[in-house]
Amino acid sequence: MQSKKTTNQRELKHLKDALKSYRYDKKSKIKVGIPRALHFYRFFPFWKKLLEELGCELILSPHTNKQIVEEGAFQGFGELCLPVKVYYGHMLYLIREPPELDYVFVPRYVSERVEGYFCPKFLSLPDVIRTLPNIPKILTFTINVKENPISNSIISLAKILGKGQREALQAYEKAKKYHKQYQDFLRKGTPVGYALKLVEKDKPFKMLKKKTPKNIKFLLLGHGYNIFDTFVNLDFQKKLTRHGVDVLTIENLPEILFKEPVIINKQFRPYWLHEDEILAAIRYFLVQGRKEIDGVIFLISFACGPDSLIAELIMRDMKVIRLPFLQIIMDEHTGEAGLLTRIESFVEMIKRKKRKLDAMKEKQDLKIFEEA
Amino acid sequence: MIVSFPNMGYSWPAFKTLIECMGVKVVLPDPTNREAVKIGVKYSPEFVCFPFKPTLGDFVSAIKKGADTLVMAVDCGPCRFGFYHAVQERILHDMGYKDVRVIPLDQADLLEFKWVKTLFEVTPTKNLFLYTKAVKAVQYFIKKTKYIEDISTAEGLIRCYERNKGDTTRVVKKLLIKLDETNKINELRKFKSVITNEFKKIDIDRSRNPLKVALSGEIHITLEPYDNLDIRRKLGEMGVQLYQNLSVYDWVIHKFHLNFHRKWLEYLARPYMPMDIGGEAIWVIGEYIDRARSGFDGFIHAYPFTCMPEISARTILTNVLYKKYDLPIIFFSFDEHAAESGFRTRLEAFVDLIQGRREKKKHEKETKLEKKLKEPSYEIHGGSLYNSVVQFIQAG
Repeated sequence: MQSKKTTNQRELKHLKDALKSYRYDKKSKIKVGIPRALHFYRFFPFWKKLLEELGCELILSPHTNKQIVEEGAFQGFGELCLPVKVYYGHMLYLIREPPELDYVFVPRYVSERVEGYFCPKFLSLPDVIRTLPNIPKILTFTINVKENPISNSIISLAKILGKGQREALQAYEKAKKYHKQYQDFLRKGTPVGYALKLVEKDKPFKMLKKKTPKNIKFLLLGHGYNIFDTFVNLDFQKKLTRHGVDVLTIENLPEILFKEPVIINKQFRPYWLHEDEILAAIRYFLVQGRKEIDGVIFLISFACGPDSLIAELIMRDMKVIRLPFLQIIMDEHTGEAGLLTRIESFVEMIKRKKRKLDAMKEKQDLKIFEEA
Repeated sequence: MIVSFPNMGYSWPAFKTLIECMGVKVVLPDPTNREAVKIGVKYSPEFVCFPFKPTLGDFVSAIKKGADTLVMAVDCGPCRFGFYHAVQERILHDMGYKDVRVIPLDQADLLEFKWVKTLFEVTPTKNLFLYTKAVKAVQYFIKKTKYIEDISTAEGLIRCYERNKGDTTRVVKKLLIKLDETNKINELRKFKSVITNEFKKIDIDRSRNPLKVALSGEIHITLEPYDNLDIRRKLGEMGVQLYQNLSVYDWVIHKFHLNFHRKWLEYLARPYMPMDIGGEAIWVIGEYIDRARSGFDGFIHAYPFTCMPEISARTILTNVLYKKYDLPIIFFSFDEHAAESGFRTRLEAFVDLIQGRREKKKHEKETKLEKKLKEPSYEIHGGSLYNSVVQFIQAG
């Protein structure tokens, strides 16, 4: 045993030395850490292109694991929602682990549309992260279309990194273009996890081989950080595919659906941007796309403010049109067995319903045949 | 058409005049009670912030009394409050009250005068004189909210001195009913003297030296006594002098861009939170600094369970500001599970601790405190009523 340990230590030392020399080589580049949580699943391609054009080296935290969640939950107090706790965990990992960072990247997303907002926790994210212990400098830029255009905030971001206005604008153009490509790629039906992997490794966007379409198709609603973080949701999508279900997410839907604003009420327009997308997607499936899907699953993290109200509205709509709807609430101590049972029963229920419908159809066909 | 609105502490006389001046009949819901909260919990989504539930219950109780039009304030800010009326209307319709309308009272920016539209929507008759009516309604509304604020400040200041428990509560109730009955501008102008006279009748013990504690947090929770388990009265009876900036008046003039006190608080909070993120987050942070500098003994932060902005504020308060300013702070997040005794124990423990801290500080006051506080400290400045009440307590 002892000998094994020593060899391990030796290897570690080697690795550390290698890292040091690596750092020495690339000293000219600014090291920026990005936690793999929250907006990562939505804007990462944009950030990557932008920051790399501005001469940064990106260091990502690993995929969420048990230690990260535990640390995050320890740092944040009970009432915080799970995604923010996970964000804390990733941030603490980035601070602790070897490559020493010059900055951590914590953007402040206020609004992308004149009449709209993100969730309040996004608005105050840099302020809250600043309160963590031993945090390095925070690299932040504010996206607030209400006050000034995005290009302005990117110019001020470039100033911090020591780049001029022209370079900033060029980087912004490139990043925008890349992000557009990425979104188009998703709309062809690629799963987000795979696409993000391609982005991370700087590979060209190449379609996966098309699998044979399955019998049942679900719409999986929810925020990116709930759906695509495979640790937090206990690999929910894989569980579904194992049960013979095809999964559609909001990112895979065509762009036209999201262009018209959602109307809940005559006097009222929803103002959260993510939730607006969810509502727009559901609106399509309520009316035109009713027969394209067999059920809807909404993944919510516990104590998520916006989702608590949106889910209520969606549930009430679903009751009216009789589309099966499952609402799953996650927190940091999810039991896998309970989740599996719920998925199984839901899928089984839909399968039975389909069988019944098919039998009815056959009967009707027979009747028509006999009458003829 | 019979109009109603949800409860929010003492503010009912003001909202009542606002709508009655337009010539519409008003029905008040029962004061928020267990039944209302039960109904709210049963029909509302599982983890919305708490004010959603009692207000829904209030609506139901108002509908049972005959109301058919309900007014709910809206803020199109980033927090959940803006969604309230839309979801509540949907829920009420699904509950079977199909004819009920929930009208949003837009208070995002009062200088945009969208609220005039709401006032007109509420009134059934439409003619030219409506504008004069609206002006009168707003004038009365603002006057009455101001007096309600005065009543609640005087209540917080005086309750800890009262000899007979319950005197202040009785006076407050009496004053609110009186305020509701005065509907002439001349009488309203003189109402301040009525308030001071009523409070001067209370038998007080001047020898006490109460603790000074500030209460802040989300507006509905801090104002509505049922929701916050009557924290104001409990603290007062424990011998704590309570200071509260929050009131409907404070909020309304803030929305008219005339509240300079809030601007000062924003200035104080700017290094820690540069923008308004909804709720009262930025002002809670500002108020904490403000209270710490003006030499308070404690600070209470009350908010509904899982309120998004207040939680961000709480993180900053505990991680940074508490270490810097060293003002004892206690957090209360309220929801429908009202455990009265546990709540009382926590409050008592907090009061005991700050009492002990004050005595300890007395000895080391000159040596340490002055070094610690780099920023200059200042005294509390209140309005004219605040000053007169303080004079009354000090001199008699």
